Formats: sequence, structure tokens, C-alpha cells
Amino acid sequence: MSEKNQNTAAETEQAPAVKSGKSDDFKGIKMSYEKRKAMYGYGFIALWFIGSIYFFIMPLVQSLIYSFHQTKVAEGGMQYTSGFTVKNYVDAFRKDQNYVPALTSMLKSTFLNTPLIIVFSVFIAVILNQKFKGRTLARAIFFLPVIIATGPVFDIITGNMSTGGFSGGSDQFSSMFETNLVDDLLTFLGIYNISDKLTTVISELTADIMNLVWKCGIQILLFLSALQGIPFSAKEAASMEGATSWEYFWKITVPYISPMMIAALVYTIVDSFIDPTNEVMKLVLSQSKEWNHGYSAALAWAYFAIIGIVMAIVLAIINKFVYYEVE
Amino acid sequence: MATKKEEKEFEKERKANAKARIARMKAEGLEKYFTPEQIRYNRNRRIVGAIWPVFRFLILFGLGFVIMYPLMFMLSTAFRPNEQMSDPSIVWLPKSFTLDNLKDSANIMKVSFWDPAHPLQNTVLNTIVLNVVASVLQVITCSVTGYGFARFKFKGKNAFFALVLLMIIIPPQITTIPMFLQYRYFKLFGIIPINIGGEQLSLINSGWTMYLPALFANGIKAGLFIYIFRQFFRGLPKELEDAAYLDGCGPFETYIKIMVPNAKTSFLTVFLFSIVWYWNDFYVSSSFFSENRTMALMLKNLDAALTAQLFNNQAIGARPIIVWLESGCLLAILPILIMYIFLQKYFVEGVERSGLTGM
Repeated sequence: MSEKNQNTAAETEQAPAVKSGKSDDFKGIKMSYEKRKAMYGYGFIALWFIGSIYFFIMPLVQSLIYSFHQTKVAEGGMQYTSGFTVKNYVDAFRKDQNYVPALTSMLKSTFLNTPLIIVFSVFIAVILNQKFKGRTLARAIFFLPVIIATGPVFDIITGNMSTGGFSGGSDQFSSMFETNLVDDLLTFLGIYNISDKLTTVISELTADIMNLVWKCGIQILLFLSALQGIPFSAKEAASMEGATSWEYFWKITVPYISPMMIAALVYTIVDSFIDPTNEVMKLVLSQSKEWNHGYSAALAWAYFAIIGIVMAIVLAIINKFVYYEVE
Repeated sequence: MATKKEEKEFEKERKANAKARIARMKAEGLEKYFTPEQIRYNRNRRIVGAIWPVFRFLILFGLGFVIMYPLMFMLSTAFRPNEQMSDPSIVWLPKSFTLDNLKDSANIMKVSFWDPAHPLQNTVLNTIVLNVVASVLQVITCSVTGYGFARFKFKGKNAFFALVLLMIIIPPQITTIPMFLQYRYFKLFGIIPINIGGEQLSLINSGWTMYLPALFANGIKAGLFIYIFRQFFRGLPKELEDAAYLDGCGPFETYIKIMVPNAKTSFLTVFLFSIVWYWNDFYVSSSFFSENRTMALMLKNLDAALTAQLFNNQAIGARPIIVWLESGCLLAILPILIMYIFLQKYFVEGVERSGLTGM
């Protein structure tokens, strides 16, 4: 769509640009309008590109090189104590006793939490999009995690501390909910202790409700913006046809917000993968603190490759269910 | 166009008319006007409409409580004398209030404004300067880059944009070590070494480790910001620029004179998010700063500092020092919380309008 627009725009502008004569040449070289515009495009992104060579690409390549060498830190930079080798990678999967378990537990928890976070944020976003008194306050409270949850403050208030094991806020809190309310509810519903596995899964999920709520801020924001993009005509048509709210949700809301589902999904997965407090990241960081930079880089790259594969698979599956209004 | 007042009156009139009509229909018998399905549908809607707000309130209240709980706990603890922590009769309201915890934490985190010896070494001021400078630079450069991606066609644009996406996805932890070495042995343009007093220039511990990437649109979460700006500029009508081009503005002039004023809200939103992320960041600052103090860094090290200063390095858990930890937390989030309370609508509405919708 944008391409077409650009073409027509280019055509309409061509005439006056030539007439004015002043901006006809770009630094003394005659160029067509399109070429000149492309040059301006490069000009706009030049600053970022130069920066990303130095601050992104070079360090990235460098760390890839480290991962294929045995390294030691010396005056003036990094020194390689071996030639090109894949030993770091082999060690990570063969010898390291922590890496593979950390990876699997990480993947498992991501698989469990991501759908939960997505469903939960859609639910909250739908509620926060309705009209009711005190909506501004409710929104303000639900976005509060966005401004707090990214920092070390979150670690302290959830009791997830380096010293560990204090029974302050969150312990007191989760025990309050988990043992009493949830178990009672499950017993009441008669599904408690049907199978041990089910019970563990349920209690794992509910014990984490605080983590869940605190991690949903951005996703709720994304879905809310998608919900506000639903055209009024769709809503009108649905109510004309006599759709119940349930039908409206599945037939109108879900298709319209499905493109944002991808964004939220990617954000959630990336967020959980690069969280410095997760098991694998802790391993990577502890290795680099012990100056095993080559090994640490290998851990990080192997991990990153796995993230990439996971994301590619998930996106390929999800993309089939996404509804795009335009194309 | 009717004014708001008139619209309200129209609305009132419409409602009154509808009410009268329904009353009339009921008097004549609804079956005459509606099919049985319609009657059932309307009745169900009425019932749901009556019950749902109650459920909605319960759900929102419960979850809001979950979010507010740690904050209420923080408030309750920060002003509580340490002895009363183990008093089981106290749940929320302590028997007496004290400011000592706050003062102790403030001293350790070096945020006390009443310290005359080092007026300029205040952690809060230091953090604010770092954050604001980096955020301003970052917003300007990211918006320029985003505009370039949104409105120009050039060869390799998709490849360049893939790089932006890569910047979002790749965790900063991968590039930290090489970056550290780059800063430690800083070379101009990555080639020319700078020697000052026989030592090669090191940027470690200086604010430049934050300003330089921000200046080149590569700061914290820069990829995300470029993405947001691109989406936003793509959503603006093209006619705006075409008019400017016709009047003889060059692209850069157009950008500054036409696009920037139109994107004010978006700029503010991104700026606020940038401030928040810089404020909360402790990964970058802990990698590149060992002396330069930021709030997040001080808070992260607070428990170690507390054990050292108040308990002579005895090995204790976090339990005995929780009052100081929580008051430190309060100090650390207070500035950002105040900002949030006043600018809340820009966080929420800004993002909704800033074009993230088009993802």
C-alpha cells in the first residue's frame, strides 16, 4: 500500500521540484527525483547505521569470535589462548552440568507462561476497554508494573533477592493466596488431587499470579491499542445481527487483535528470554564474571540460536491464524 | 458541528424518546413488534448488563490489589520501626511511625540533599542528568531514523530494517563484553586511539557510555523506539509533507517544521518510556560503571551495603534489614512514581495513539 502511495506522491512532486531549479541537483550532481529522495533516506538513517556498526555489529561479531576461541583477559584487550575451536560449544552441552537443565527449565517455563500471559492480557485489555466509572484509575494501576517491574525494585518487592530467602512481601503474599484460597477453591470444585501432576501444574500457575500480573503491563497496552483500532462499523454490524458478547469476542475482537497477538507474543518471549534473572542468563553472567569470556559468549550464542529457532517456529504457526484486514 | 453541550442534549432527547417508545411498545405487547428470538436476546443482554459490572469490579479490584499489594507493603514497612517487624499483631498499620529507615537508606544510597560535603555527588541528581541527557539524545536520533524508514525508498531498506529488528531481539548481554573492551580502550571511530597522559582513554565510569550510544540511536531499547517512530510516521497523512515539498522545503526542513510538531505526543510518550527504562536499567550501568552512581545500581547493592554498615558484615538474611530495603525501594521509585502520577495519561493514551496499532 505504502509503495503505491510513494509512487503517486513522487509523480505529483516531480514537476515543481524540477521547476524550482534550486533543489534540482544534489551536491552539484544531477540526479533523478527518486534517486535524490533515496539519498535523503540514507541521510536520515546514516547516524543510526554508523552507530550500530560500532555499538552493535562490531561487538556482536566480536563476541561470536570469542565464542570460538579460548580467551583470557590481558592488558590492552582480549587475548586468544587457542586457535579456532568449537570446544566451548561442545563443553556447554557435554560437560557443563548446569547449562542443559537450565535451558530445558527455561524453555518449559516460557511455554507455560507465554500463553497464560497472552490470554490474561487480552482479558484485562478487553475489560479496561469497556466504559465504566473509575476506568482511568484502573488503567493507571494496571500500567504501574510497566514503570516499576523492569528494575531491581521488582526483585526487592517480590523477594527475589540476591541474599534470598526472606519471608517478606511476596512470600507472605503468595502463601496467603496459594495455600488458602486456591486449594480451597480446587477442593470445592472437586478437582483437587485428581492427579498429582494436574495439582502441581495448577498450584505452580496460581502461585505465580503475582509474577503474571506484574509481567503483563506492556502486553495489555498493546492489546488495548489494538482494541481501539476495531472500527465502529464492525461493532454496529455485530449488534445488528444480534451477536452476544461471547460471539462478539470470538468473531470480532479476536480476529481484529490477532496481528497484535504476534507483537505481544514476540515481546513476551524475548522479554522472558533476556531477563537477566532467568537461569540461563545467570549462568552466562556468572561465567563472564569469572573471566571465562569465550565460554560465556558460547553459552549466550547457543542460547540465542535456540531462541531464534523457537521464535521462528512459533511465528510460523501463529501467522496462519492471523487475520489482516487490509491485504 | 454541534457543540459538546448540544450533543449532550441530543443524547438526552434520544434516550427519552427511546424510553417512551419502549414503554408504548410494552403497553401494546412486545410480541407485536419483536420476534421471540429478539425478545430473548434483549432480555439476556439486560441480565448480562446488570451482572457483568459487579463481576468486572470484583476482577479489577482483586487484580488491582495484587498489583498494589507490594507497594502498600512497601509503604507500610518503610515507615515502620525495625522492632515492630516481628510483632505479629501488626499487619498494615505500625504502632508508631519513623523516618529513621528512610534517613539511613538515603545516607547509604547517597541521596541525602542535606549532605553539604558533596552537594554534586547526589545519586538522584546524577541519575536524572544521565537519564535526561541520554533520553533526549535517544528520542531525537531514533525519531530521525524512524522517519527515514517510514517515508523514503532506498536500496537495502529491508536489510537495514532487519538490523533494527535484530537490535530488538538480541539481548544486550551478548554484546556487553566486547562493548566493555571498546569503551575501556576507546578509539575514535573505532580506529584512532586517544592517549591522555600516556594512558589510553577509557570511558568506563563516565556518562559517555550512555550518551554515545544514545547519540547514535543505539541506546537502551533503541530498536524498539525506532520501530515505534517508524510506525507512527507511517500513520501520518502524506499530504502534510507533499504540501511542504511544494513550498520548497527540503526533506530535513520538512521533518523539523512539519513532522516534529505533529508528532509531539508520540515524542513525549517515547521520551517518558526512555526515561523509565534508563532509570530502571541496572544492567548497562552495572557493566560500565563501578563508581558512577545511579539509583538502580545503588538499590541493587543496598543489601550488601546495609549488612556492611549496620550489621558489621555478619551473615544475615534479608529479613532483619527489610525495613531499610523497602525504604530504599521507596526512595528509588518515588521520582518515577511522581512523574507517572502527573503524566499518566501520556503513558497510556500516548502509546495507544502513537501508531503501535499498525504492527
